[in-house]
Amino acid sequence: MLWYKSWLETRWRFVIGLVLLMFSAASTVFTYPEVIKLISGMPNPDLSGALGRRVSETLALARDYRGYVWSQWFRQNLIQMWGIFAVLLGTGGLVSQASGGGAIFTLSLPASRNRLLGVRAATGLVEILVLAIVPPLLVPVFSTAIGESYAVSDALVHGACMFIAGTVFFSLAFLLSTVFSDVWRPALIVFCVAVAVGLSDLVLRDLPLVSVVRLMSGEAYFRTGTLPWPGLAASVVVSSALLYAASRNIARRDF
Amino acid sequence: MADAFVIETSGLRKHYGPGGQIEALRGLDLHVPPGSIHGFLGRNGAGKTTAIKVLLGMARPTSGEARVFGLPAHVQDASVEIRRRTGFVSDDNDLYDYMTVAEMIRFTSPFFPRWRRDLEERYLRKFELPLDRKVKALSRGMRTKLALLLALCRGAELLILDEPTSGLDPAMTEEVLQALVAHVAGEEMTVFFSSHQIAEVEQIADRVTIIDRGRAVVTGALDDLKESFRRVQLVFEGDAPDATFRTPGVARVRRKGRVLSVLSSAGAEALVDEARRLNPLSVDVAPVTLKEIFLETVTVEE
Repeated sequence: MLWYKSWLETRWRFVIGLVLLMFSAASTVFTYPEVIKLISGMPNPDLSGALGRRVSETLALARDYRGYVWSQWFRQNLIQMWGIFAVLLGTGGLVSQASGGGAIFTLSLPASRNRLLGVRAATGLVEILVLAIVPPLLVPVFSTAIGESYAVSDALVHGACMFIAGTVFFSLAFLLSTVFSDVWRPALIVFCVAVAVGLSDLVLRDLPLVSVVRLMSGEAYFRTGTLPWPGLAASVVVSSALLYAASRNIARRDF
Repeated sequence: MADAFVIETSGLRKHYGPGGQIEALRGLDLHVPPGSIHGFLGRNGAGKTTAIKVLLGMARPTSGEARVFGLPAHVQDASVEIRRRTGFVSDDNDLYDYMTVAEMIRFTSPFFPRWRRDLEERYLRKFELPLDRKVKALSRGMRTKLALLLALCRGAELLILDEPTSGLDPAMTEEVLQALVAHVAGEEMTVFFSSHQIAEVEQIADRVTIIDRGRAVVTGALDDLKESFRRVQLVFEGDAPDATFRTPGVARVRRKGRVLSVLSSAGAEALVDEARRLNPLSVDVAPVTLKEIFLETVTVEE
């Protein structure tokens, strides 16, 4: 029943996220004919600087449908929107509920704190997994409607990369939610971290420490067809460490 | 072997805040025998809620020990077992606002293998709880009734109530207390309930512990307390002397004009003998109420 409770607490964040991401997938696909019409006669601009290079690359990628979907959606829209909902789904829980949200009732039940936290984390992880997999799977479906094709395997791999690497942000929000008693500070802190990481990625392209954004977009898979196993493994380790820290924090906390 | 006490604490201390400046419990000794209705009386901020939280594993003691059913409350696995055998109602009826009454029951019951469906139906009828109404839409009285239903139906051996009638009007308070008494009369269980309402403790408790500033200052069977506590009032011709008494059990001495008032927790006989040596004009011995015991003992600590 703890699953049911966690679902009730997060369902609106999840459903809104799912609808928005599905809408985003549809709009990305269905605007492709207009985009390709717009850029077909346009030469590739030679722009300098990190942002200029990014614009040039995006235009070049957009001439090919697979490149367009990756650069417009997996690398930009999906990362940003999915990231926001991953963070929102990581917030909340026992500490924020301690000020009148049922935490004392929950703690009076015969369930260990590890179990309470574990169920809450698992619910959030399943929800962000669905958010990372279902909307990308719509891309192959919608693509047929505009006369294009997109491989289901590509959609799944990008979704999986998004989930595995992006869980770091979910886990960070989850950990901070065991520290702060409101839902806003954890969310704001993680958003700031995410923006910093995103900007660093634009500027410091060769620093492996900040390449979580590239991991999330599945850039290595898009460009070379191989999966970035070390990066994904590192993400799993970092996420696990953050979730473990959250469980220790809750275990030693007084309510 | 059956435990002598359902709840037992010794030297229980709990400090909060940076550097442990706030001493919520300062060596609390508590003994609650099985089958009793044990009132836990204290002023606001005396440490009642903190003690209950320690018993239920929601807060860890700084030092000392708390055991429930003989199990150490600070050990996680033991704490889960304690909560499996305990019904709990918090002072603010902390329930899930987003659930309906039916959902709250459906959510809570699977945690308790001995959940009483018969009681669930009985209390739903008795309390007239609307199954499809969200908790956030319930009045305070209805929330208390729902919280009570969720606690009573657990098939628990121990019921811990933290100021269950807090914020209720007198009619609702009476209804809740009557339901509680009727329930306990039909079930073999121990009730430990905190309150600062002396009248309601007197109404339903058979044992009482008075806590003040994190320490138990009075404890025992209510009848014994009423029997053993006496007020001896001495009236003198002139100003009352600034006397000290050697008789054991003198809890409080008040001097006002010609009157010396002595509260004894060990009867009055020996005290009267000692008092007569002060040559008072008159000596009166009077029984005291729980309210007087409470007011005198918590004031002594100030």
